[in-house]
Amino acid sequence: MIFEQLSGNLLQGLVLGSVYGMATMGLSLIFGVLQVVNVGHGAFIMVGAFTSLMMFQAAGVPPVLAIPVAFAIGMALGMLFYFGALKPLVSPSGSGIKSLDMRAVGMGAGILVALLVVMRFLSAAFKLHFAITLFVAIIFLYGFLLYIYGGRRQDKAPELATLLVTFSIGVILEESVKQLFTSEARGFNWAIGKLDLGVTVLPYTKLIASFGSLTIAVLLYLWFRKTRAGMAMRSVVEDDVGARVCGVNVDWQYALSFSLGIGLTVTSGVLLTMFIPVGINPYMGGPYTLKSFVIAVLGGLASPYGAFFGGLVFGLVENGSYTLFAQFQGLEPFAMTRFFSFVMLLVILLLRPTGLLKVK
Amino acid sequence: MMRPVRAYYPILPVLIGYGILFGIGQMVPGKWQLISQLAFFCALGQAFNLFMGMTGYVDFGYVAFLGVGTYGMAVSIYYLFDKGLGLTMIVIGMILAAVFSTLLSLAVGAVALRLRGAYFAIATIGVNEGFRFLIEGARIWNGSDGMIFSRHMKTAFGRETAMALSMKWADVIVFGVAFLAAVMTLLYMRNKVGYALTALREDEDAAKVMGINVTRYKLIAFITSAILAGLLGASAWALKLTYVYPTDVFAIHYTVEAIIIVLLGGAGTLLGPIVGGLIYGVSKYYLAIVLPGFQLMIFAPIIIMIIVLFPEGTVGILKKRVFGTPLEKFII
Repeated sequence: MIFEQLSGNLLQGLVLGSVYGMATMGLSLIFGVLQVVNVGHGAFIMVGAFTSLMMFQAAGVPPVLAIPVAFAIGMALGMLFYFGALKPLVSPSGSGIKSLDMRAVGMGAGILVALLVVMRFLSAAFKLHFAITLFVAIIFLYGFLLYIYGGRRQDKAPELATLLVTFSIGVILEESVKQLFTSEARGFNWAIGKLDLGVTVLPYTKLIASFGSLTIAVLLYLWFRKTRAGMAMRSVVEDDVGARVCGVNVDWQYALSFSLGIGLTVTSGVLLTMFIPVGINPYMGGPYTLKSFVIAVLGGLASPYGAFFGGLVFGLVENGSYTLFAQFQGLEPFAMTRFFSFVMLLVILLLRPTGLLKVK
Repeated sequence: MMRPVRAYYPILPVLIGYGILFGIGQMVPGKWQLISQLAFFCALGQAFNLFMGMTGYVDFGYVAFLGVGTYGMAVSIYYLFDKGLGLTMIVIGMILAAVFSTLLSLAVGAVALRLRGAYFAIATIGVNEGFRFLIEGARIWNGSDGMIFSRHMKTAFGRETAMALSMKWADVIVFGVAFLAAVMTLLYMRNKVGYALTALREDEDAAKVMGINVTRYKLIAFITSAILAGLLGASAWALKLTYVYPTDVFAIHYTVEAIIIVLLGGAGTLLGPIVGGLIYGVSKYYLAIVLPGFQLMIFAPIIIMIIVLFPEGTVGILKKRVFGTPLEKFII
């Protein structure tokens, strides 16, 4: 009885794990290249989930077709936040702000204003306008001050700075989405049939999500191994000074890998809604941040493939431990599973901070 | 090792600041709620700064210490209210709060403080969620149903005293914790602990080579900061609100607030959290009137702005300005 349950759940875990792995690849990529931990990771997953939800609800677009849109949104957000916030802190050339960055900030602010003008027609509340004006004013003020003072910093900023910046980016995304769509939990239903495997039943949506994440992982692998652009990015991971000597534009590689990482993360949000199409709310990212950290650490933190492998392991462990916790009376298995993933994180960090696989 | 008294002068502006704040709260009718909120923010910032400002490490799960502190007080009142202990119960509650937060910080610190920078942040980001899920999952202390103990307080202390405790004395204790946090910060700054922490904040490898046991000093700062947070939770949340729900006390946005306060004022300074707490508290209060629900959306870009442009914070800039003037002795 319990073994049947366990094997069914483990199968589910393996399928879910592939999506988890995909959701963590962006985090690992960003850490690998920029040495920045994206603490706002979950918020980007949330953006992907909302993209999928909104496209499905507004136009009936199946989530599969939302994948390229989400990827594009992610790339755009990545560029915006890299040039607007991270670049002055991590840029290897230390040259501060160039005109391009001002243009990027201005462009970002422009996009925001356009979005907000659209919103103005959607909502009649005056307070919202005031808040939006204030928000945009702060962004503009920031851009202006960045232009004046941005070039001052000589040395690389401490690690603390990048952590706090990515954390704040997450907060900005969460709060903006909350203002746009309120904080109630939403869901949608995209039913296209199920596959009965005897021990468990897998809806086709889950299989598609799993297959999609596998495809993306393979594409990423091929891109890294077979193209010059991928090689340039790998060379920055190996040794950024050496890469610069060989003529790689390290600054641009930083920007590209940050936005690629964010793009992958937002895309994974779409895949996750194919898996769990309910409970979509602005603060849904928190648990995913934690899960992704566990997975990233399992896989060695700086390696996207390690992350994919870690995702599979984590999916198995999560569903396995759920089945086991459900056997005990007086425990709430769902909450205990989440506690268990936190304990797992601490244990792995204590015993093998370099990851289970030694990938270098 | 005795330091000259002059080294401790910076406590004077702290004392005057809190004195004025307390005075305004007592004199001006109807503003006590705002003032107690401000005191809470100052205390939160000061306790958080003791670790983040002095070591340069950021603990994203900090609110967990306030949470377990709240539970410390709650457990004391909830289970001991019919034992006839009277006000000793409050003392027991504070001690329990300190013990709980010490234990949690030891458990987390033992693992996380061995790790550097990014790995430390990764280890701590799940502490509040993890602990919340432990309480909900294993149904410890009523699990997700929380503990409501206003009835217990009225039975134990009588109606009048219970009211006074949550309306007034809870806030007075918050003031006390805020001052205690400032005193601890200054004591550490002026002693071996502070020098060791400064060394490791600037360059951890060099500090290690010089023979400083970095893990030990980080742990000292971490535990002190955690105990102060626990006391704050016990007074500002448990005693004041007379209920505790796991989703409320482990909410991550308090960590965000602590970060904002410390950065506004200036990380690693004594007066910074007070200035930051006042700026944040007052603007939050008025933003909540003009634009309810927008505080974090307004403040999150401000955090980025400060980090990129003015990493020293208000007091950091002020400190540079007064360098070489007689005021120099008072502002650190």
